[in-house]
Amino acid sequence: MTEFHSPSRKDYLLKQREMYGRHIFGVFPAQYPRELLWAMNILPVEIWDPPLDLSYASAHLQSYICSIVRLGLEFIVQDKADILDGFLFPHTCDSIQNLSSIVNDYLKPGKPCYFFYHPKWPYRESSHRFYIEQLRDLAAQLGDQVGDLDYTQFQQYAEKGEEVASVMRELYSLRASGELCASNVEFYRTIRQAEFLHPDDLIPLLETFLENSRGSQASETPVILTGVLPNPPEILALLDELKIRVGDDDLLACGRRYLVPPSQAKDPFEALAERYFHMPPCTTINSPIRERLENLISKVEGSNAKGVIFWIVKFCEPELFDMPHLIEGLKKRGLPTLVIDVEPNQELTGQLTTRIEAFVEMLA
Amino acid sequence: MKDMGVPGIMRFSRMGKKRRPRKKNASLGPPLECNSRLRELMATHYLLSRYAQGAKPVAWVTSGAPVEILRPFGFYTFYPENHGALCGAQKMGPELCAEAEEHGYHQDLCSYARIDLGHYFSGKTPVGRLPKPDLLFASNNICQTVVYWYKALAEYWKIPLILFDTPYNFREISKADISYMVRQLEEMIPLLEQISKRRFRYKRFREIVGIAKEASLTWGEVLSTMKARPSPMTIFDAFTHLAPIVSLRGLPAALEHYRALLAELEKRVAQGVGAIKNERWRLMWDNIAIWYKMRDFANLFAERGMNFVTATYTNAWTETIGYLDETKPFESMAKAYSLVILNNNLDHRLQLMERLIQEFQVDGLVIHSARSCKPYSVGQYDLKRLITERLEIPTVVIEADITDSRAYSEEQAMVRLEAFFETLEG
Amino acid sequence: MNYFGGIDVGAISTEAVIIDEGDGISGYSIVETGANSTDAADEAFGKALLAAGIHRDAVTYIAATGYGRVSVPLANKTVTEISCHALGAKYLFPNTGTVIDIGGQDSKVIRVGDSGKVLDFTMNDKCAAGTGRFLEVMASKLRVSLEEMGELSLHAKAEAHISSVCTVFAESEVVSLVAKNQPKEEIIKGLNRAITNRVWGMVKAVGVYVPVTMSGGVAKNRGVVTLMEEKLGKPIRVYAEPQIVGALGAALFARKQSREGM
Repeated sequence: MTEFHSPSRKDYLLKQREMYGRHIFGVFPAQYPRELLWAMNILPVEIWDPPLDLSYASAHLQSYICSIVRLGLEFIVQDKADILDGFLFPHTCDSIQNLSSIVNDYLKPGKPCYFFYHPKWPYRESSHRFYIEQLRDLAAQLGDQVGDLDYTQFQQYAEKGEEVASVMRELYSLRASGELCASNVEFYRTIRQAEFLHPDDLIPLLETFLENSRGSQASETPVILTGVLPNPPEILALLDELKIRVGDDDLLACGRRYLVPPSQAKDPFEALAERYFHMPPCTTINSPIRERLENLISKVEGSNAKGVIFWIVKFCEPELFDMPHLIEGLKKRGLPTLVIDVEPNQELTGQLTTRIEAFVEMLA
Repeated sequence: MKDMGVPGIMRFSRMGKKRRPRKKNASLGPPLECNSRLRELMATHYLLSRYAQGAKPVAWVTSGAPVEILRPFGFYTFYPENHGALCGAQKMGPELCAEAEEHGYHQDLCSYARIDLGHYFSGKTPVGRLPKPDLLFASNNICQTVVYWYKALAEYWKIPLILFDTPYNFREISKADISYMVRQLEEMIPLLEQISKRRFRYKRFREIVGIAKEASLTWGEVLSTMKARPSPMTIFDAFTHLAPIVSLRGLPAALEHYRALLAELEKRVAQGVGAIKNERWRLMWDNIAIWYKMRDFANLFAERGMNFVTATYTNAWTETIGYLDETKPFESMAKAYSLVILNNNLDHRLQLMERLIQEFQVDGLVIHSARSCKPYSVGQYDLKRLITERLEIPTVVIEADITDSRAYSEEQAMVRLEAFFETLEG
Repeated sequence: MNYFGGIDVGAISTEAVIIDEGDGISGYSIVETGANSTDAADEAFGKALLAAGIHRDAVTYIAATGYGRVSVPLANKTVTEISCHALGAKYLFPNTGTVIDIGGQDSKVIRVGDSGKVLDFTMNDKCAAGTGRFLEVMASKLRVSLEEMGELSLHAKAEAHISSVCTVFAESEVVSLVAKNQPKEEIIKGLNRAITNRVWGMVKAVGVYVPVTMSGGVAKNRGVVTLMEEKLGKPIRVYAEPQIVGALGAALFARKQSREGM
C-alpha cells in the first residue's frame, strides 16, 4: 500500500462529508475544472493508481490497455467506490473515453456519471467559447444532483485555485534552483495530496511544507522527469539513494497541471478558461511537439539538469508518439535521456533498477 | 529518368490477381465484375498522386474527416489509412512498422501510424510514390491517435495541421457541440484559401455535399443487398469496395462506382447468385478488417458455408452521412461527422449491432480485437457478453491487428475459431 | 603485485575475472548461478583464483555487477552491467563504438565513448523475445544446445519465416513448422533472424557507431552474429569468451577505483 492511499485518506473524505456535507466525486485523469467542483461543494478525488490487484479488469479490458485505465475500472468493479457520490470522466484519450462509456452504459455503477470534453489544440476563437459553454453545461448537470452553482462561491474558489497555483509555482521554483531541501519522495508525496485535499487543507499543507523545506540542496545532481505520474514511488526513493534530485517535472499528474501561470480575469469562468488555455504543453490537449520540446529544454536550463528521464506508463499512446521527437531534440543538445516504461504499483524489477543506475553512472 | 508510371499501374492492377496461377476456391461464387472496375478506379487515383505534387495543393486526410470542405478548393486528397490498409493487404505491414520502430516509435502504437511513419523514413510503398502534403487535415471523431500521428508528421514536414475537433457523444450531442463544430468549419476557410490559393465557393461546396450524401446513400443500398439470401457479396469484397466512399467521397467517381456496383448486385439478387456457393450461416464482423488475412479468411469461412453479410465497419460510411443536407451544409456536417460509430457511446453501438444482426438475419458474430484501434476495441469484451446474453448467438473474439501481422498468432486464432464453428454448427 | 576482481552475477550464469596491474587476464571462471547469488559469486571467484594461481588475499579490490550484484558481500563496490560491458568491450577492442550484449534475461545496446564511458544505452522491453531466453526456449523445443544453434543455422539452405514478436506465439509457430517437417536448421535460422531483428531495432534506437562488439552468451551463436553483420554491413568483433566481458569490465572498474584511492 503506497502512502498516498493510506487509510487516513478515506477517513479524511468521510470527515469532509460529515462536517461540510461535501459530495465526494471520483475523477479520472486528467484535465477538469477543479474550482468549479469545489464551488459546488464537491470534493474531487483523482483516481490514478489505486492500490489494487488487477483481477477483474481483464474481463473487460484487453491486455494492451494501460494500467491507469485498468486500475480505474478495477476500482469500480471491485466496489471500492462505496463512499463516492458520482464519477467525472474528462476526455483525456481514447482509452479513458471508452472507459467512461463502459462504466456509464454497460457497468452502470448506480452512481451518476459525468463527462467533460475539453477542446484540443489548435486553439481558435471557437475553442474559447466552447470551453466556457462546457463549464456552464457541466455546472447545470451537476446542479441537478448537488444544487445550483452559486456565482459568489465560484468567484471565491477560483481565487483559491489561484492560491494553490501560486504555492505550487513557488515550490517548483525553489526546487529548480536547488533551494528546497526535501527528498524526491517527500516532495511528490506532499504535492500529490492535491489529488484529493480540499483547498482549505491543501493550501496550509503546501505552505507549511514550503517553509519547512527551505534550504540548500545544491549538492545533488538534478534531472528532469517527463511522463505521466511518479509511480511507483520506489523509483523516487532509488533516485534519492543515488543522490539524484528531481529539478523539475513535466508529468501529467503534477507539473503539467499545477504550473499554470497567474490568471488575470475577474470572472471565474474566464479565469478557468485562461488557466486551461495557458497551461503547460501536454499531449492530452494535443500541444504541438515543438512547444513540448521548448518547455522541456527551458526546464533543463532552469534547473541546471544533467539529463531527462521519460517515465512512461506502458501503452500510453499520447506520450509515446511525442517521445522520438523529444529524445532527438534533447540528444542534439547533448542531454542524456533514459526511458523507463512501467506499470503503476509494480515492484521495482532488477532491470528497472539497473537501467536507472546505469543512467546515473552515465551522468557522473 | 525512370518513369514508374505505367509499370506502376500494371503492378497495381495485378494486385488482387494471382502472380502464380492459384486455384480459385471452389466454395466461392463468381467474382464481382466491379472488382476490376474498382482496381482501375483506385489505380488511377494513385497514379494521379504522382503528378499531384506541385500541380495541385495536396492534403493528407483522416478517414473520418469532413473532406467535403476541402474539395471546393481543389485539393488532391490522400488517405494514409487507406495506404496503410493497402500495405497490410500486400503484407508489407511488418517491414514498414519496423522502419518506424527503428526511429523510436514504440511497437504498441497504432500500426497505420507506424506504417505511415515507416514510409516517411524509408520512402517504401507498394504504390510508386506518394505526394508530399501541403496540409494535414484530421478529425478526432475516429480516434485521438490520428491527431498524435498527424502532429508528428506536421513537425517532420513543417506544414499546417487543421483539426476538426468533434466532442465525444457521451449521452447526446448538444447545441453547444454543434455550434463549436460549425464555427470550426467556418474558421478553417481562410487557411484553406491561403494554402490552395482559391476562394471558397459556397455553391460548389453545397453541390459536393450533395454528391457525398448520394454516394453514401448508394453505398448504403449496396450494403442492403446483402440482406438477401444468399448474399450477393462477401464482407471481404465490401471492405475493398469501401475505398471510394472513404477516399473519393464528394467526387462523382465514387457515386458512379456505387451505382455500377449496386446494379450488379441487384442483378445477382434477382438471379439468386450468392457470393459463396453454399450459404448455410450468416455472420457479422466487428472492427476493421485484418487486412493481411482477407483472402485466407474469405476462403476459410466460405469453405464452411459461412458468409459475413454485415459489419459495423462498412456500415460506418452510410450510417451518419445520411444526415448531410445541402441546405444546411455546415450544421449537417457537424452532425454527420460527430455521430459516427467511434465517436458515439457504447450503448449506441450495442443497439446498432443488435439492429444489424436482426436486419441481416445474422447467426454468429466474429469480433476482431484490434491492437491498433482502441476506440473500436475497448468495450468489445462487454459487447460480446451482452450480445451473447441478449441475442443468444455464438460470438468469438480474435486478438489480432489491422496490419501488423507480428501481433497475430494463427494458431491461437484457429483454436478460437474452431470452437466457434463447433458452437455454430452444433 | 596487486590483483583486482570482477564478479558478474547474472540470472543464469555467474562469471569472475581476475586481472593484475598489467595487461591481460590472469584467470576467469563461469559457473551456473543456481538459486543463490552469494554462493554463486563465491564459487565463481574461488575458481577464478585457482585459474590465476593466486590466493584470495592477493586481490585488493573487487567490484560486482549483474542482477545479483547486491548479494556479493565480497565486493567493495557495485557497478551496473551497462557500464561494465562498455568498459570491458573497449578494453578488448579499443575502438569499439557500440556494444551489443544479448544475455539470458535481457539485452542491451550501449554506445561507448572514449575510455569506455557510456554515452547512451537502451535495454529490451519487458519481454523475453529479444533475449537469450527466447533461443533457450526454442532450443529445448528442437532438442539442440544453444551452441549447436549457431553452427546448424549456417548450414541451412533455406530459412523458415517466424513472424511473431512474442516468444509464446513464436513457440507455437515452431511447433507447427516441426509438424510440417521443416528442417531444423531452417527453423533455427528463422529464429536467429527473429532475435536479430528484434535487437537491431534497439541498435537503431541508440544509433550505429562502428566498430560494433557483441558480448553475452548469445554472441556464441555464430548464426546470430552473422545475421547481425549482414544488417550492419560490417564485421562484428566477438571476444573468444564473450560471456566474461561484463566481469572483465567490473575488474577494470575495481582497478580504476583502487588507483583513485577510494
